[in-house]
Amino acid sequence: MLTVLDPRLSAEGEALQMAPALASLKGAVIGFIDNAKIGTERLYDHMVEMLKSRHGVAEVIRRRKPDTSRPVPDDMLAQLRGADAIISGIGD
Amino acid sequence: MTTALASSTHEVDDAFAANELFQRNGWTDGLPIVPPTEALVRRFLDAGRCAPDAVIGVEPVRRRRITAEKVAIAAVMAGCLPEYMPAVLAVIRAMCVAQYNLHGSTASTGGCAPMVIVNGPVRTALGMHATHNALGNGSRANATIGRTLRLFILNVLGGHPGQLDRSTLGHPGKFTYCVAEDEEDNPWLPLAVERGVPAGESAVTVFAAGAPHQILNEWTHDPKELLDTYAAAIRANMLTYSIWHGNYALVIARQHRDIFARAGWSKADIRAYMFETCWVKRKEWRTVGKAAVAGRKDEEQAYRACAAPEDLLVIAAGGTAGGFGAIIPPWIGNKSMAVTMAVAT
Repeated sequence: MLTVLDPRLSAEGEALQMAPALASLKGAVIGFIDNAKIGTERLYDHMVEMLKSRHGVAEVIRRRKPDTSRPVPDDMLAQLRGADAIISGIGD
Repeated sequence: MTTALASSTHEVDDAFAANELFQRNGWTDGLPIVPPTEALVRRFLDAGRCAPDAVIGVEPVRRRRITAEKVAIAAVMAGCLPEYMPAVLAVIRAMCVAQYNLHGSTASTGGCAPMVIVNGPVRTALGMHATHNALGNGSRANATIGRTLRLFILNVLGGHPGQLDRSTLGHPGKFTYCVAEDEEDNPWLPLAVERGVPAGESAVTVFAAGAPHQILNEWTHDPKELLDTYAAAIRANMLTYSIWHGNYALVIARQHRDIFARAGWSKADIRAYMFETCWVKRKEWRTVGKAAVAGRKDEEQAYRACAAPEDLLVIAAGGTAGGFGAIIPPWIGNKSMAVTMAVAT
């Protein structure tokens, strides 16, 4: 028998976890982080329209990252603090 | 008192079964692994003079705390010897410096790989190769130090293809991409010394790199003509891949180095010439099928390959014969910049 160590960091509980879902979107403030890829703006326009017209979202806070490949700047994150939930665009 | 290891464990029948477990779970790059037992991992940690819970770096986006224990596991798996650990740890530390952009370069569709250039006495101490087949197979240390980074990205960062790693194509350097500079057989300053490390000390330089593109010119003794060939490859990359400036690397083998040496050209001379030579105009996009974007801005605008001469990494490596060299492009522009880190002795 051989005992081997698990190579994953996530195996020791450092995995990312999903935030709990909102009970309702009605009256909610939703933040959007635009990852500055080509298609994001159009996709988000559509999502904002759906969230407001169909799900009663009260307000959205939209911010566009200055650079696709770098983290969201701290001051931008601070501006999103008032949101009940945040949607972050990933990919193209 | 000995610090307990944090990693959970798995029981397997033997080394073959251990490899099958890792293959099945996607914990390797597809090649076989050395089973990371506690005894081996402790030997590697001792060689790196690290406690298992020592934090080697924090991945800046997901804030993952990278422990020495997980780095040692990756090094064992990759086939390293314990004495490679100081070099491995230096590379991981370098990759955690913000300007390397570890998360972005791991996740990007652009498909780059961390390329490592090793300088100083550690190269010879570990038996690294810098001459024939310098960018290919040749020594265990080159192969396994480079491979450790991929296993680290897979298992510590979660950089699995199609998951965090969204590379459209990637390239073979994603298995291993580690070269030692040939410091013994050239008149130039080692790369790490040029980047501020005291002469005689060991260091690693890492940058997020595309695949090497070989060039051939054995029909001139004029340093400028030689560099014009390298420059043409860089310009082609700027037009066909990414026009943005960043760290380009030149790998210059012995035959070309002899020509530069006879002409009295230093690495700084090469960088200065390349800085002035490597640029394209936006309108040239029209010649490579990118007319749709060429006209969005002033088409007479010139774009340089490097923002400053210092951004060109000049590396002496390669076999003694053949008029070959290589350019190595950056991932995409300056989204990731090279980091040089001393190897702890």
